Amino acid sequence: MLTLGTALAFAGAAIAASFAGVGSAIGVGIAGQAGSGVISEDPDKFGNVLVLQALPGTQGIYGLLIAFIIVLNIGVIDGNIKDLTTYQGMALLFASLPIAIGGLMSGIYQGKVAAASIYLCAKRPEETGKGIILTAMVETYAVLALLISFIMVNGVKL
Amino acid sequence: MLIQMKKATLYALKEDRDSILLALQRDGNVMLIPSGDEAALPGAESVITEAEKTNGAIKFMDMHVGKRSFLASRTPVAYKHFLQDTPEAVDLAEQVAVLEEKIGSLRNEALTMRAQADALKPWQGLDIPLEKLAPTTFTNYFAGYLPELEKDEFLEEISSLTAETIVLEEAPEGRAIVVFAHKIASAEVKHFLKAHDFTDVVFPKRVGLAKAIAVDLTEAAKMKESLADNLEDEGIKIASRKEELHLYYDQLVAKQDRMALSGEETQKTFFIQGWVRADKTEMVKKAIGDTTSAFDLNFTEPEEGEIPPTVMENGKLSRPYEFVTELYSRPKIGSLDPNFMMAPFHFIFFGMMLSDAGYGLILTILLYLVLKLFNPRDSAGKLITVIFFGGISTVLWGILFGGWFGLEWHPLLFAPMKEPLKMLALCFGLGALHLVTGMCMKMYLLIKRGQVWSAIFDELSWLVMFAGLFFMVLLPGEVGKYIALVGAGTIILTGGRANKNILTKFLGGLLSLYNISGYVSDLLSYSRLFALGLATGVIAMVINTIAQMLWESGTVGIVVAIFVLIGGHIFNILINVLGSFVHTSRLQYIEFFSKFYEAGGKAFVPLAIRTKYVDVTK
Repeated sequence: MLTLGTALAFAGAAIAASFAGVGSAIGVGIAGQAGSGVISEDPDKFGNVLVLQALPGTQGIYGLLIAFIIVLNIGVIDGNIKDLTTYQGMALLFASLPIAIGGLMSGIYQGKVAAASIYLCAKRPEETGKGIILTAMVETYAVLALLISFIMVNGVKL
Repeated sequence: MLIQMKKATLYALKEDRDSILLALQRDGNVMLIPSGDEAALPGAESVITEAEKTNGAIKFMDMHVGKRSFLASRTPVAYKHFLQDTPEAVDLAEQVAVLEEKIGSLRNEALTMRAQADALKPWQGLDIPLEKLAPTTFTNYFAGYLPELEKDEFLEEISSLTAETIVLEEAPEGRAIVVFAHKIASAEVKHFLKAHDFTDVVFPKRVGLAKAIAVDLTEAAKMKESLADNLEDEGIKIASRKEELHLYYDQLVAKQDRMALSGEETQKTFFIQGWVRADKTEMVKKAIGDTTSAFDLNFTEPEEGEIPPTVMENGKLSRPYEFVTELYSRPKIGSLDPNFMMAPFHFIFFGMMLSDAGYGLILTILLYLVLKLFNPRDSAGKLITVIFFGGISTVLWGILFGGWFGLEWHPLLFAPMKEPLKMLALCFGLGALHLVTGMCMKMYLLIKRGQVWSAIFDELSWLVMFAGLFFMVLLPGEVGKYIALVGAGTIILTGGRANKNILTKFLGGLLSLYNISGYVSDLLSYSRLFALGLATGVIAMVINTIAQMLWESGTVGIVVAIFVLIGGHIFNILINVLGSFVHTSRLQYIEFFSKFYEAGGKAFVPLAIRTKYVDVTK
């Protein structure tokens, strides 16, 4: 019999993994569309384009990471699911929100910058490095969200 | 450090021009300055065309025998050999170009024929040879396509007229029909056809039944295609001589570089200018002196308004990090070369972000092999060396944090996952050191330029305040508080000194104290050191957990688990090396460089032998 707290913790893990994953999927998708256009003109740029397309993919990983820690902490992995109090569960749910929302939005916007940088790479391949840096600027906020989510999850004593 | 540049001015005889340019190119120390109309030497045009042709030939060969890999080592060629003409390669390039064109035109013809044969498909049922389709004394004919929907209505309409219709098969353009009309009805038939969106067909100029012609065309197309295939085979044979074209291409590019700028000239003499490193002037003089004695060479300081190119020179360890700086922008002439201070931080931060000793070991060994075996040069070599150093740093941090392929094993310092606050403190500590270093570099720059007061008011005051805040936390008593107040006071009193009015001076000072928010956000940015390390560690942990679950599920599971382990960790290394490099560089650009760095230098691109395929040895 699962407690409400445990179920809320599940909800937290689900939200973290899925929202951040959706952000990354949209971002990588946008960048990929721009990328195929550029590659159709010059297949040699595949390497550069792939790096740029991969950049918005990290939000999904961050989301997975928080989800995994929650799942690990409540004992899903080793098979002994703990009974959490409702407040513990809610705390874990709230803790997952920064990376869920931050990952969702920053993934989308990072994808847009990545797409623009892919066009930059098409016109001036020697400046691809700058495009990568511009794209990584957006990721800062996903990194910060990840950090605070992690600290919060870590702070819930079970 | 940044190298002093001198401007070289050379007057010499035109008859010596080729040998002088050759000598300068071999020496590789002069960057020629375009003068006046920037015209190239006569004949440069044909060299460029030839180079393009050769490049096309190499690409054609690449298509047939595969491309050389990005890291392939270059064939060494002695300089003497590099200068020799290679008539065989000239022929070869021509041969390949002709071959390529032949293949292209054969394929094109075949394509056209197939298209024509396709277009004849709906007409195969026509039992009248195409050449017989012509007006006679009493009849006119119309052949073409009628939209399917209009067909029945049209047939109905012309049934009363003196006309005969043959309805054939349907094509994408519509239903193929031929209408024969008596001349008296011709005008009416034409009118009906037009009203029903009829389009005329143009038959290929051939004799016979449509069916037979289509077969002929297909046969002919097949012939052409097999001819093209034979030529392709020939291309594969020829492609084994690719090396010759590689050398020839590099020779052409070198020649093209030599001919790119003509400088000014008179009937017998010419004159060129170029930038030379101040410490290399003697070498340039000697290089020219070895070829001729009839020349005049002067080295002068750059004039007012002239911006010489930026040359950075660094020790062996910090030189690869020039790549990171160049990715941002070269330093402006007269500012600071940041590499010697940036390199150690880049090294430390990269390792902290990757922070897994196992990954570090793999990276270090792999990149060491790449560096040894393929000897990549220029920016690729620098980038790989930077990551190679990063790998070493990763091993060190991995040992300190106890991370081995996502497993924890005897951390020397502490495990960041278990003690996040300690880890954050470490990140902010290193970040503060980084920022303070940046501010000290700005102070150095200001003092070097004689702006001692700016150095004290704008930089030292902040440092004093930070030191005070630091002591407030660490030392008992009031010492820290007073030191911080001295710093803050200096900022308030002097921050607005550029303003004229005493009141705005004071307000400006108060406002400049507000800059503290900038420093705080800079500092918080270093939390990414922890977050990225966390990402590496937890993803590795996820991979290990999945593999363990599979491992326990039986024999098949064990096999899959091995694949998951290998594939997963490779993926994790790739994605996190990318992340670590990008975010480490970002910390340099946004947080560190913003404190002191002056960008905007031009690249130093001397006239030199730049090869793509061969390695020219002395």
